[in-house]
Amino acid sequence: MNRTKNGSDEMELGRIDHVLASEVPLMPSSGFLESVMERVREEAAAPPPIPFPWKRAIPAVLLTAGVFGWATFELVRLGLPSAGSLAAAGSIPLAMPHFSAAAAQPFEPAGWVALALGTSLLSWLLARRLAGRSGLL
Amino acid sequence: MQATISAEEDLADVNRVLAGDLQAFEGIVRRWQGPLVNMAWRYCRDRGRAEELAQEAFLRAWRGLGQWRRESSFSTWLFALAANVFRSELKRFPTVTVPLEAAPEPSGPATQHNTLSRELSSGAVRRAVLALPHRYREPVVLFYFHEMDLAAAARTMRLPEGTMKARLSRARALLRRRFPQLETEHAEIEFEALTTRKEA
Repeated sequence: MNRTKNGSDEMELGRIDHVLASEVPLMPSSGFLESVMERVREEAAAPPPIPFPWKRAIPAVLLTAGVFGWATFELVRLGLPSAGSLAAAGSIPLAMPHFSAAAAQPFEPAGWVALALGTSLLSWLLARRLAGRSGLL
Repeated sequence: MQATISAEEDLADVNRVLAGDLQAFEGIVRRWQGPLVNMAWRYCRDRGRAEELAQEAFLRAWRGLGQWRRESSFSTWLFALAANVFRSELKRFPTVTVPLEAAPEPSGPATQHNTLSRELSSGAVRRAVLALPHRYREPVVLFYFHEMDLAAAARTMRLPEGTMKARLSRARALLRRRFPQLETEHAEIEFEALTTRKEA
């Protein structure tokens, strides 16, 4: 029985192996080398990619993290007491928060505040973009 | 000896490219264009696409030349990178394949012994490899590309040899089930060769 050479001793060589192992090698076309080198030269000549402006993005990232953190804190603060009282009564498990109509009320102004902040941020970004295009910045 | 020369040349060219000599990359492309185009060809069975894929692999190699850690040979690094490129490119734009069950049958028993029929059945087997499920297709492609060197194929796929062997075994079983007559044909060819030798 024929055996393969490297680490596949128990695999017998059948016709399928013979077919797949005995392929006529393909020759790359004559212009292949040149076309690869052309693309490499193009890429080398291109200016380096602009790095992401982390310094400028940090305040926005911090602001977003703060808003989300505050929202999570408020959610937990308002959700847990009502859930705790209901769990004590034996109606629902503790893990499932429940909001009464009164507890949900503070979210209404919070939503408006978030919307106002978002609108301000958008208008600021738009203004900066327009100013940047017109060469003012 | 050839491999040693190539390794030394690769190292020298890589160092030159990293030092800013763009033209030195030509030596790398010249030495590896054949293997990479052939490897890509086995992934897609389309000559034009194979050259595009190989070109993309060379471009990525040029971009990431600094990431080659000299612990492994340049060829190991290049093949692993190329396999990654081919895999992701073919995932984005897959080649047209048929399911394994729908792969064309090789010739019937009556014509099995003529050369043309054998060529046709070989073509059917090669196309059927592309119809294998993805996790079995690549081990087959790489195992035969590396001239049945399991360790080299495993290094290219960055898989343990045991995993590679298991996938390969499963893939071969699927192919055997699809083309049972090829095993019979092989046995017949071997029997014929043996009889001819004895008669001589």
